[in-house]
Amino acid sequence: MNISTNNLYRADIVDRNNKYLVKTVSSIDIGISTKKVIDKKKLILNLKYIFPDKDYSSVKSKLENKNFFYFEKKISEENYEKIMQLGDKSIQPEEKLTRVYPEKNLFSHIIGQIDNDNNGISGLEKSLDEKLKKAQDPIKLTVDKDIQYLIRDELLRFNEIFSAKGSAAILMDVNNGEILSLVSLPDFDPNKREKISDVKFINRATKGVYEFGSVFKTFTLAAAFDEKIIEPQTEFIDLPKTLTCAGFPIREYDNKIPSNLTAEQILVRSGNIGSVRIGQKLGEEKFRLFLSKIGILDQIIFDIEEVGKPIKFNWGKCPLATASFGHGITTTLIQLAKAYSIIVNGGYNVHPKLIMSPKKNKKQKILNEEVSQKILPILRKIVTTKEGTASLANVNGYEMGGKTGTAQKSIRGGYSKKKVNSFVSVFPTSKPKFVLAVMLDEPQTNEDYIYHYRDGSNIKYKGTPFNTAGWTTVEATGQIVEKIGPILATKYSEIN
Amino acid sequence: MKKFSVIFLILSLILFTAIVKNSTKRIEDMIFVLKINIKDLGKDFENIKLEYDYLSSTEKLLEFQSLYFDNELIKKDIKEIKIINWKLNKLKIEPLKFVNE
Repeated sequence: MNISTNNLYRADIVDRNNKYLVKTVSSIDIGISTKKVIDKKKLILNLKYIFPDKDYSSVKSKLENKNFFYFEKKISEENYEKIMQLGDKSIQPEEKLTRVYPEKNLFSHIIGQIDNDNNGISGLEKSLDEKLKKAQDPIKLTVDKDIQYLIRDELLRFNEIFSAKGSAAILMDVNNGEILSLVSLPDFDPNKREKISDVKFINRATKGVYEFGSVFKTFTLAAAFDEKIIEPQTEFIDLPKTLTCAGFPIREYDNKIPSNLTAEQILVRSGNIGSVRIGQKLGEEKFRLFLSKIGILDQIIFDIEEVGKPIKFNWGKCPLATASFGHGITTTLIQLAKAYSIIVNGGYNVHPKLIMSPKKNKKQKILNEEVSQKILPILRKIVTTKEGTASLANVNGYEMGGKTGTAQKSIRGGYSKKKVNSFVSVFPTSKPKFVLAVMLDEPQTNEDYIYHYRDGSNIKYKGTPFNTAGWTTVEATGQIVEKIGPILATKYSEIN
Repeated sequence: MKKFSVIFLILSLILFTAIVKNSTKRIEDMIFVLKINIKDLGKDFENIKLEYDYLSSTEKLLEFQSLYFDNELIKKDIKEIKIINWKLNKLKIEPLKFVNE
């Protein structure tokens, strides 16, 4: 008797360490074709012997009233052998293939889902649909299951602490674009095959388009370094506290910020007016070209189809001023991770990727090498100095550097009080290897959370004083790096 | 005599061909059975690996840690991680240089 197989084959998907993320497993269902039954009483007697606990009154009624019915689904190998030994022609085994996701929610936004007809409907299941149906070997991804788990675990914790609507994190190798982890919350369990249409399940790491605020100031400064217009120590004198552009005021976030600052101090202290001045020195054309070169303005080409398209930015005198400090200009978190990677890796273009490929792409230099040399010490100072906004991420032993961004969410005709807090970190700053971009969507302050200062003072602080990235996303990043750091340092770094 | 030799040669060739054909068939059968066995073993291996991956996942390991080790397993400071080198019959312990600071 031949087992009839269905056409549901799809190749397995494994992580970079060959651990299963998706697996197609086979199971056998036993059907009974009632027309082929010669002796019903004998058949029931034999079946009772193998499956004593089954309800045989319903089996009897099905034998009388139906042409075909499934007697037992997903039977064990032992029972399969026993039932086949009966040699009854009415017993028809059917091999069924089931797609299982052993990690449940962990990779839901990367892997995606399939429908009941075996077609991919989101994530890699969709973008690799044809390949998965044909490939004989498992498809290997760049992600690390353990790191993904640890990052998601921390993100879930901080999502709850700061009562955020959602959050996302991307950990990427700055030199080759391999993504070790990509998490977006809330997520879902692909095993349940539920229809995911609620907008809250949007992939915030790749699809969500946001204004990220001050993280853009790094681009303004980097563009000026690339064009050799300024140096880190170039002074900006008599910076006002307020500027007006087309009737709208541009203010400093912190009024205590000095009026005389160097270019370096402008980024460390996250000065709005100073960034506008740098942007104006640079000019619209050069800044636009720079942002385009590092992949901020256009839709990214990525391994999954769920990618957002940055809102078209209408350049002009005032838009240049606001874009210089990250206001009014949008992009996605993955594009931020890519742009920061290029700025810190010596100026080489990188393409974020989720699928491992054996061939190495030829490195393409798109920025002056000095850009990285000049920017990295500044990013480090943002984490290590009192004036910087990210001291809570100064995890001992990892040389963290990065830039915070606190942005108000735009609504039709203006801005709401809801925020998007982000922090893009790079480590180790002496020889960058990883970029970790973390964002919290609409976080709130928490009165009970206890902060442990990382300046060696052992000071503890209860409650979130301000709803800014420095007190929310930076803390989350610090905790994430503490957890994943030892793995990255030992498993993914060249030993000395 | 010549005729006899030719007949003998032909018969020998027929016999030889029959033997070769027979053993080829036997080998082919063996290969077929082995291939089936390998396929079954491959399936078993994949299922066992799936089970292993699940049981050794971070989620499970953290569960086991809280169940059986409680305070015995502690987080290691990166500065305490060293590299052991065995060179020229000498054990050398060097610091792990993740950063240059």
